[in-house]
Amino acid sequence: MSHTSHPPAMKMGLPISDAKLGMWLFLGTEIMFFTAFIGTYIVLYFGSVDANGVSAWPKDTDVTHIKIWAGGLNTFILLTSSYFVVVAHEAMSQKNFAKARKFLWFTFILACVFLSVKGIEYRGKISHEILPGKVAETEEQAIQKMSSDIEYRYYNELAATVPNIAITDVDGDGTADRDFPTDQAMINYQRSAALPQLVANSEGEQKEEYAALLALDGKVASLREMISANKLTYAQAGTLLHDMTEDEDYGSILSGLHLAHPILYGNLFASTYFLMTGFHAIHVIVGMILFAMALAQGSNLNENWSNWVENAGLYWHFVDLVWIFLFPLLYIIPGNI
Amino acid sequence: MDHAHSESHPHVNYLFVFLALCVCTALSVIFDVVEMSPSLLVFAVLAVAVAKASFVMTYFMHLKFEGRWKFIILMPTAILGVGLMVALAPDIAMHYYDYDVMQSQVDPPEHGHDAGHGTHAVEETTEAHH
Repeated sequence: MSHTSHPPAMKMGLPISDAKLGMWLFLGTEIMFFTAFIGTYIVLYFGSVDANGVSAWPKDTDVTHIKIWAGGLNTFILLTSSYFVVVAHEAMSQKNFAKARKFLWFTFILACVFLSVKGIEYRGKISHEILPGKVAETEEQAIQKMSSDIEYRYYNELAATVPNIAITDVDGDGTADRDFPTDQAMINYQRSAALPQLVANSEGEQKEEYAALLALDGKVASLREMISANKLTYAQAGTLLHDMTEDEDYGSILSGLHLAHPILYGNLFASTYFLMTGFHAIHVIVGMILFAMALAQGSNLNENWSNWVENAGLYWHFVDLVWIFLFPLLYIIPGNI
Repeated sequence: MDHAHSESHPHVNYLFVFLALCVCTALSVIFDVVEMSPSLLVFAVLAVAVAKASFVMTYFMHLKFEGRWKFIILMPTAILGVGLMVALAPDIAMHYYDYDVMQSQVDPPEHGHDAGHGTHAVEETTEAHH
């Protein structure tokens, strides 16, 4: 059998490598993934109106703890890392693998810096409780939040101070007469109910500690009553909390508590913020893994990795693209309107 | 094949593209600092973002030098992405009713005093904040 005239094999499909086609198809789905989040944010921004129909989305950067400098810095970091990936890819095609490795390292380090800046921002949000479901949106919610913060501190202090035997020993002979309750509300109730007895039976510093808790118990009960009777205004709540934290007996238990500043739609803001920046950060981490796998080859990095670096680069540029839109939409525009 | 492939990529001065991107970022920051009307700011900042995105896609992602397959892959998803936003807008971002008839419950009516008016509440309570 001889083939003298061999017809050229028919080339099916697109004139690019399968890996690159796969990456582009994936990036196509990623476009939809992120436009869904960004679109949701924009639509909710306009949909969240106050009683006058004006958008009441939280925009003040002092309220939302959005740091424009951090967004700008991260934009610059990602742009620079994108450039380094391009340089690395070019070096790969010139078979200058040492240079490629160097610039892949630079990219990897910049990705770490990006995540660090993001971490600083997240820490600020967490410390100010700008978290989904944690933000008080109205004055009533702020008062409720204050009350539950106080109760949380109070019950924690109770748990640390009141011994379990004070609950289980009813007749005071030092032995347990009944089972320790399983229900947390019942435990809290019985601990506070044991306080008068403990004050009567103890001395010195211990007695003062129990007496302070007993005084706080009275305050917590009256606060709860005022809230359920709707008798406490926001300004009164602020004064009340201030007086409580200054109290010389139990003030130390409540130190650092403050009445939250109501942020209308603050929870929606926090949800969209963390959804968008969080998924973006996950993409950054995935990109770092892709680069790390090429870097793990060490000095064995060769032309077989050219496609890998190209596709990881494409992915990285996409991560950069998303941030290019997040920066104005999340940082600059809300901060200036 | 590989050779022909690399030949089809004219040399791009990537450093120049990178500097252009830096200038664009600086422009965004300038727009942030300079006083201007909100609508102009939104337009300017988003225009800069689109310019940056097109630089990255055209040169860094080599789309300028790719075949027409790029349209086949990217157009449907771009259309669907924008379509999703357009589809969401009427239900959530637009309002068909007078504001006397609230679409979303901002102010629980059973609580008497002026809760819910966010800006009002903020003015009254700044002294209690921190």
